[in-house]
Amino acid sequence: MARYGMVFDLRRCIGCNACVVGCKQENTLPDGVFFTRTLSEEYGVFPAVNRVYIPTLCNHCEDAPCEKVCPSGATYTREDGIVMVDADKCIGCGSCAVACPYDQRTELSKDLFTQGLFGEGELTPFEEQGYSRFTPGMVTKCDFCSGRVDAGLDPACVVTCPTDARIFGDLDDPDSKASRLIRERGGRPPLPEKNTSPKVFYVD
Amino acid sequence: MSTRNAPIVGDSFKLGYRFQRYWDTPMANAFFFGELGAGLFFVSLLLGFVPGMAAGIVITCILKTYFHVSHMGVPTKAWRAILRPDRSWISRGLLAIIVWSTFGALHVLNLWFGLEAALGFGPIIGGLIKLIAACAALVVMTYQGFAMSHSTAISLWSSGLMPVSSLVYSLTAGTMLTLVFGWNALLAGQLGLLVNAALLLLVVIAVVLLSLLHGAHHGSPGGRTSVELLLKSRYARYFLGAVWGTGLILPALLLWAGAGSYPAVIVAAIGMLSGYYAYRVLVFKAGVFEPIMSFRP
Amino acid sequence: MSANPQSPQNSLKSGRWMRSTCKMCLHSCGTIMHVTDEGVVNKIEGDPTNPSNNGKLCPKGNSAIMRHYDPKRFKQPLKRTNPNKGPGVDPMWEPIGWEEALDLVAGELKKTIEDDPRKILPSLEDFQKMHIWNWPLAFGNRNCFQSGGTMCGGAYHPVNGIVHSAFAVANDVKHCNYWINDGTGDGFSSHLHAAAQSNWVANARIDRGMRCVTIEPRLSISAAKSEEWIPIRPATDRHFALGLCHVMVAEELCDYRFLRKDTNAPYLVGPDGYFMRNADGKIYVWDSANNCAKTWDDETVGKLALEGTYQVDGKECQPAFQKFRNILDGCSPEEMEKITTVPADTVRRVAREFAAAADIGATIEIDGRTLPLRPAGYNYYRGAQGHKHGFQTNHAFKMVNFMVGNIDTPGGLMGVTLDDQWIDRSHVELGENGMMKPNPHQLGPVPPFAYPPNSYDLLEYFPIGLHPPHLNLEVFLNPEKYGVEYKPDVMVICHSNPIWALQGPREKWFEFMASMRFIVVCDIIPTETTQWADVILPAHDALESWNMTMIEPPHTEGMCMRQPATAPLYDTKSEEDIFYELSERMGILAAYNEVINMILGFHHKPELMLEPDKKYTDKEIARRRGLLWNDKDIDWYIEHGHSVTERRSDKWYRPWEGMRLHFYIEDALKERDTLKANMEAANVPFRHDWSWLDYQPLPTAILDPVHEEPPEYDLYSIFYKDIQMNFGESLSNPWIKDIVYRDPVHIALILNPKTAEAQKLVQGDIVRIDSPYGRLFGRIGTSEGMHPDTLGVSNSLSRAKTGHSKVAHAGGHYNDLLPYDLRNTDAVTGQPETVCKVKITRLDDWPEVLKNGGTVYDIVDEISEPGKGRKH
Ligand SMILES: Nc1nc2c(c(=O)[nH]1)N[C@H]1C(S)=C(S)[C@@H](COP(=O)(O)OP(=O)(O)OC[C@H]3O[C@@H](n4cnc5c(=O)[nH]c(N)nc54)[C@H](O)[C@@H]3O)O[C@H]1N2
Ligand SMILES: Nc1nc2c(c(=O)[nH]1)N[C@H]1C(S)=C(S)[C@@H](COP(=O)(O)OP(=O)(O)OC[C@H]3O[C@@H](n4cnc5c(=O)[nH]c(N)nc54)[C@H](O)[C@@H]3O)O[C@H]1N2
Ligand code: SF4
Ligand code: SF4
Ligand code: SF4
Ligand code: SF4
Ligand code: SF4
Ligand SMILES: [Mo]
Repeated sequence: MARYGMVFDLRRCIGCNACVVGCKQENTLPDGVFFTRTLSEEYGVFPAVNRVYIPTLCNHCEDAPCEKVCPSGATYTREDGIVMVDADKCIGCGSCAVACPYDQRTELSKDLFTQGLFGEGELTPFEEQGYSRFTPGMVTKCDFCSGRVDAGLDPACVVTCPTDARIFGDLDDPDSKASRLIRERGGRPPLPEKNTSPKVFYVD
Repeated sequence: MSTRNAPIVGDSFKLGYRFQRYWDTPMANAFFFGELGAGLFFVSLLLGFVPGMAAGIVITCILKTYFHVSHMGVPTKAWRAILRPDRSWISRGLLAIIVWSTFGALHVLNLWFGLEAALGFGPIIGGLIKLIAACAALVVMTYQGFAMSHSTAISLWSSGLMPVSSLVYSLTAGTMLTLVFGWNALLAGQLGLLVNAALLLLVVIAVVLLSLLHGAHHGSPGGRTSVELLLKSRYARYFLGAVWGTGLILPALLLWAGAGSYPAVIVAAIGMLSGYYAYRVLVFKAGVFEPIMSFRP
Repeated sequence: MSANPQSPQNSLKSGRWMRSTCKMCLHSCGTIMHVTDEGVVNKIEGDPTNPSNNGKLCPKGNSAIMRHYDPKRFKQPLKRTNPNKGPGVDPMWEPIGWEEALDLVAGELKKTIEDDPRKILPSLEDFQKMHIWNWPLAFGNRNCFQSGGTMCGGAYHPVNGIVHSAFAVANDVKHCNYWINDGTGDGFSSHLHAAAQSNWVANARIDRGMRCVTIEPRLSISAAKSEEWIPIRPATDRHFALGLCHVMVAEELCDYRFLRKDTNAPYLVGPDGYFMRNADGKIYVWDSANNCAKTWDDETVGKLALEGTYQVDGKECQPAFQKFRNILDGCSPEEMEKITTVPADTVRRVAREFAAAADIGATIEIDGRTLPLRPAGYNYYRGAQGHKHGFQTNHAFKMVNFMVGNIDTPGGLMGVTLDDQWIDRSHVELGENGMMKPNPHQLGPVPPFAYPPNSYDLLEYFPIGLHPPHLNLEVFLNPEKYGVEYKPDVMVICHSNPIWALQGPREKWFEFMASMRFIVVCDIIPTETTQWADVILPAHDALESWNMTMIEPPHTEGMCMRQPATAPLYDTKSEEDIFYELSERMGILAAYNEVINMILGFHHKPELMLEPDKKYTDKEIARRRGLLWNDKDIDWYIEHGHSVTERRSDKWYRPWEGMRLHFYIEDALKERDTLKANMEAANVPFRHDWSWLDYQPLPTAILDPVHEEPPEYDLYSIFYKDIQMNFGESLSNPWIKDIVYRDPVHIALILNPKTAEAQKLVQGDIVRIDSPYGRLFGRIGTSEGMHPDTLGVSNSLSRAKTGHSKVAHAGGHYNDLLPYDLRNTDAVTGQPETVCKVKITRLDDWPEVLKNGGTVYDIVDEISEPGKGRKH
């Protein structure tokens, strides 16, 4: 069984947020809701200054605090390591959201589904066809595009990334591009001190 | 990385500290009323003050439930919250509430209507009911602290002192309310005991809060950011004024100087409860997530 | 809405995929569109079979669905019922039928054409449809109100046309190892096929270790990803480039073989600046082996002199290269540093690194040809070239490349054609005296000289120009000065938002708009311009229409097909239908078909020529363009989506082999003198105001007038595009808006913190920005990534409220700060200045009009609030 993870190549990422929009259209995310974000950090003093772009998404932690605190059993981990939220079971208590050290949980408040993306109280046909995946009020997150992965496809944010800064793959396969990058360029997980064993790594 | 070069960034795409924005006022209300009710029950139980016990159960069952449900995104599935006691403090807490309200109610009924006699079970069973109710109440008084401390996400919360603070606040609130409700019903000795207990508990709260802040400040940059928010910047006015001034110093002074007067006790109780409520709201508001990592070379 | 949590992700739903082409910016990345069984477009991805974008889409490309289903789209033709026009004034649209709308518009246009066809002012700016763009030629109208071309490439395209005979340029990403980006987001955030190019460039950077150096007043994405950011004072890039040339010439780091063999650098220049010619018109060179002058094609020449002073036919002359040396004498890095603020040491180092990386002398074998390999290129665009002396500025950038012999050479700076039309077409022709024929008019020839002027933007006086639309305003405000005999009073606008895009204060443009008798706009959503329209003709959007296009693909060529994903959602028409219907009603159908035959190249394959009296659909025109390219019919394209391949090496690498390139642009003098003579003969009154000095065959270190504004304007101000935005237009898109106002670069007017301190400003201060020409309001943000002399204004802060619920007021518009006069216009190309000088005044509060909420800054505040922080 594969153990899926992602590597972000910070030298490649240009902070365009195409991944964010790609995810929004793949998953019909309401306004202001993100399963992935690319953050930027500026450092240094003129003229010795630079900016780094840091993509983030759910780390599909092996020791996932969000799962541990979930009282309803909605959050669970698939055999391949993808941490999922069952839209049928989630009660929207938000425990997972305050337990995730990476702020990767997002609440789909009910008004988002009535206001619509254009904020005019009316849903576009695109929204109509897509919002049925969610239970309004639930708390959810990136699921590594589990459906696409099951179909043998890369996640939506990965395929659209103009610079190939997102590398998805099987971390148990030493020959996967992701594993190789982690090995060769010293992949670092986010906030290791939180002891969550993220399956997302950064190389710079 | 110091807090200065990574600011609080709201929901922008900047690297920095982010406020937790998921547990907000309704959740604070639920926590507040849950702990308050359980504390009232527990203290009243110790003193055998039946109206206090009944009131405690009613407060928790009605108000806590109401605010939980109003916080919950999918209230129609609220029952699912009890499904994972093996790992979730929310489930454990809810089960504890069910156990406590059931056994607490049985205990109250027993005391009021003599169920023991009516139903023909002996004092052992009656005692067992009382014990279970007491234990469950203790869980309800502390589990929310465990729910917060259990995850490492927010440094301000992830401290072993969180359940302690829940417990002492809950006990103090219970003591103050028992004093107020039982002023005319309890014995003078009991009242004196309660006043002294309350004074002691207020001091304990102060110590716990200080340790909590100290721990958070030294725990992580995120913890330090939270502490700065509470002591220096955005929330300092409320934290120092309401939590400390109105919630601890004022009631302590009133209890110490004016313990004989009912109005003073009432004012002290209102002050303490306001401070407690402010604390409940502010620990939520000041909770921040750390920047996921800095990539400064 | 019923919750069905089992419902799959959008791309996995039951439905079908169709190939098409993106149109969220002017470029043409390949797409695949997923349409559900119910007929809803629910996912668009990059087409992995298209070697241009390689399956990638930028954020704009990812957001096309939100444009398609935008509830604010125009849903049927509309007619104004409110006679009062103005910004923010509700036109009180009345829906009308197509017949009525077309009759009405055609009637107005016909009336005007019968009166004076010059009175029509067109702004037709769909780069993907040059056949609509050129519609006015069908009634002989050469006016131009559209802004594309000058704000961006007014001088860039003509100089590319002269040097490469191509429209654009880009470094050869496949071989380049040292990529200089001056004032452009190419490869990172904008310019050519951003999604495609950033993929190619990222691969070169990471897989091959290509080094990038970005020259910019601000830490752009390109700068942030480069190994080196060289901050520069705005509008001084030419001086930086001349400094580099100085070092390469002084240290003899040049590709002398290239200069001698492949350019006119050895041609002898006489005292009048023209080449020395013999009686037969043959140009002389100096043979230093035999110490005598010979004609350029004399096979006995031993060694061509690049330097020295010689006497030929009794005149003192020098090789063109020596002429440039003379200029460079005054351009030492130390001298240039005073202008650019770039340390002289940096200039010397970069020049050496650049020349070393170019590996002069190296060769490479490609498709059986042995070619020079020069893996270093100086790439540049809008920010670097958009200045008054644009002609010289572009030329200076070319010179850096000339020095190392990398023009159209593997690894170097490549000419990028806009559209090759058919697979074997070469864009290069032999000109006179062994030189490649210059082709500055990449979008069609300039109209012949006339006085009084026929075109309202004075295009006939810019013989090497594209079109200077800002001068419409200058002429409108000073009609006597320019001797215009007519005043345009009808506008035809399609796919263009000139009231956003053009420079000069809005109030004056409003006056201009208000002076129009009739305005028809063909668009899909409300904009700053549509609110001035009398009639709106709503077009299909890109997911409902056909097209076939190829636009400036940097490394690829071939046609990209657009096909409808859904039937039109509303009662709209294709632009083709609209302009055919109008043409028929106006009686210019035959002429229009002739224009299309010429513009799209159908006359090169007679069987594809449109017949004079027929109307064609968007699909039919698309079909013929596909056939013209590779003889494949539309069904082949429907299956394959595109015929894109990597650029063919014979057309891409040194297609001019055996010809000489224009190192020295003698044409500048020829055009100057012809124009001068024409102006003298016609007694043109403003000929004395004309900047004759702008016409230089070699770039000089003259300062742009922006540096000479009154001293109280103590800062420079610049604007920028970015990858999330197509100009400011995509801000109506909820997904784009969702990301733009979270990005720190796009939420404030940005100053260096030290500058802010010196100006006694802190982050968050509300300010008024004044230039000598106009003003805007905004809020200050600070970033160390800003040159201390510069105020940065993102396009995210440029829109006005127009009735589109998603578009927020920004507090003004950068373009209001810009001049629109002749002083700031390049007299050669019409390129206007796009940088300005400003002063900042702190305000206690917003001006009244911006107080009522709904501004960009309100959105930004809501996002940064600690609460739920997500509603906006
Ligand atoms: N401040 C500032 N000014 C600038 C620039 C800048 O970056 N900043 N950029 C300059 C440059 S380089 C240029 S090229 C110009 C560009 O100036 P414009 O060409 O005016 O650019 P857009 O704003 O993209 O206008 C395109 C219009 O086409 C409409 N449109 C989109 N799709 C369709 C369609 O399918 N059919 C029809 N009929 N209409 C459609 C859009 O709604 C929009 O109104 O602006 C120039 N001005
Ligand atoms: N994403 C995206 N891509 C686009 C477009 C778009 O709107 N969005 N528009 C298309 C069009 S029509 C055009 S013309 C091209 C333009 O593409 P670019 O050439 O990339 O245009 P800009 O971003 O306007 O300018 C490039 C940079 O110049 C900088 N700059 C400003 N003034 C100066 C200066 O004086 N000196 C230097 N060195 N730099 C300066 C700005 O900060 C900016 O980062 O992009 C095309 N592609
Ligand atoms: S799409 Fe790729 S390059 Fe763009 S922000 Fe996301 S990870 Fe970075
Ligand atoms: S990143 Fe957060 S949401 Fe994702 S698995 Fe880890 S703890 Fe859970
Ligand atoms: S919000 Fe949903 S997923 Fe999160 S902990 Fe509660 S029930 Fe579980
Ligand atoms: S993996 Fe899928 S769900 Fe997760 S961020 Fe990427 S596109 Fe969104
Ligand atoms: S660069 Fe232009 S054509 Fe390519 S995906 Fe982006 S918007 Fe579409
Ligand atoms: Mo442009």
